Amino acid sequence: MKNRVIIMVLVFLISNQIFSQERYLTKEGYISFFSHTLVEDIKADNYQVLSVVDKKTGEIAIQLLMKSFMFKKALMQEHFNESYVESYKYPKATFKGYIMNFSELDSLNSTAEIKGILSMHGKEKEVSTICKVEIVEEQINLSGNFMVEVADFDIKIPIVVRNNIAKTIKVNFDLQHKPYKNN
Amino acid sequence: MNNIEALKTKYFKILLAGLTLIIIGLFFVINLYNKPFKDVKNSKAEFVISAQELINDFQVDENLANKKYVDKLIQVKGEIVDISITKGNSSITLKDINGFSSIICHMLPEDNLNSLKLKKGDFVHVKGMCTGYLLDIIMVRCILINDNLNEK
Repeated sequence: MKNRVIIMVLVFLISNQIFSQERYLTKEGYISFFSHTLVEDIKADNYQVLSVVDKKTGEIAIQLLMKSFMFKKALMQEHFNESYVESYKYPKATFKGYIMNFSELDSLNSTAEIKGILSMHGKEKEVSTICKVEIVEEQINLSGNFMVEVADFDIKIPIVVRNNIAKTIKVNFDLQHKPYKNN
Repeated sequence: MNNIEALKTKYFKILLAGLTLIIIGLFFVINLYNKPFKDVKNSKAEFVISAQELINDFQVDENLANKKYVDKLIQVKGEIVDISITKGNSSITLKDINGFSSIICHMLPEDNLNSLKLKKGDFVHVKGMCTGYLLDIIMVRCILINDNLNEK
């Protein structure tokens, strides 16, 4: 499975070099999540999100490392990785989907629907959201947010801290893709 | 009368002991809650390695490399290919000779300014926590090690 993924990525990248005009990529995308409860607010930021957009088809693939989420408190980060999302078992979260009607978007500030499958903690779930799309000559910027149900991903929260962690988590994203170039 | 006094003192002692226990308990809980992150600057790196070696290890066997390096404090030496800023946080990208992969080091705020003083082509030592591998190796909470800067 792992090898297949690597081969897919390789094929993807090699084809990239041939059609380099079409693929836009960022290795330093930003995704954060936010949990609000009466007890406390928890926020974590990930500044190292990998995301690739195909300008022709509007296809989008996002990948991130769970361990790259940075929390304000070390203990939160530890619990998140060790007990809740079990990063040692499921180190990555991915999203594969499409920006709908992407080829028809042309204005500087438009909105579009993104639809796809979010995989995390060994579970898959279809998500969709309306996001802001900015297509500048050398850049494709996507930003927006969507809600995720903790229960959908089989993430178990111990009773002791059940009141500290929201059942629905808000995910923010800001991805600024540039044309893929081989350095 | 004496009996009641003695009883009062006894209850008082129990109450005092109880309160002390609660305070100590609270102290521990608060301490645990505020447990600090690993002090990158003053902790010794578990691995001191070149960018190329680290990239090779991940490309040969990602699982094995994950077990070896992830969550460990690593000091990497390499040539800078890119310096960037995302939402006020700087990142330094260290090079791979083959140019296919690289190491992206997300810097701690305290080294933001120092990172910006660097330029492409500089050789640096970066110390930080490794979090894994996507197309590149990812490191977070990184700081610059000042000695041996620009040494080829």
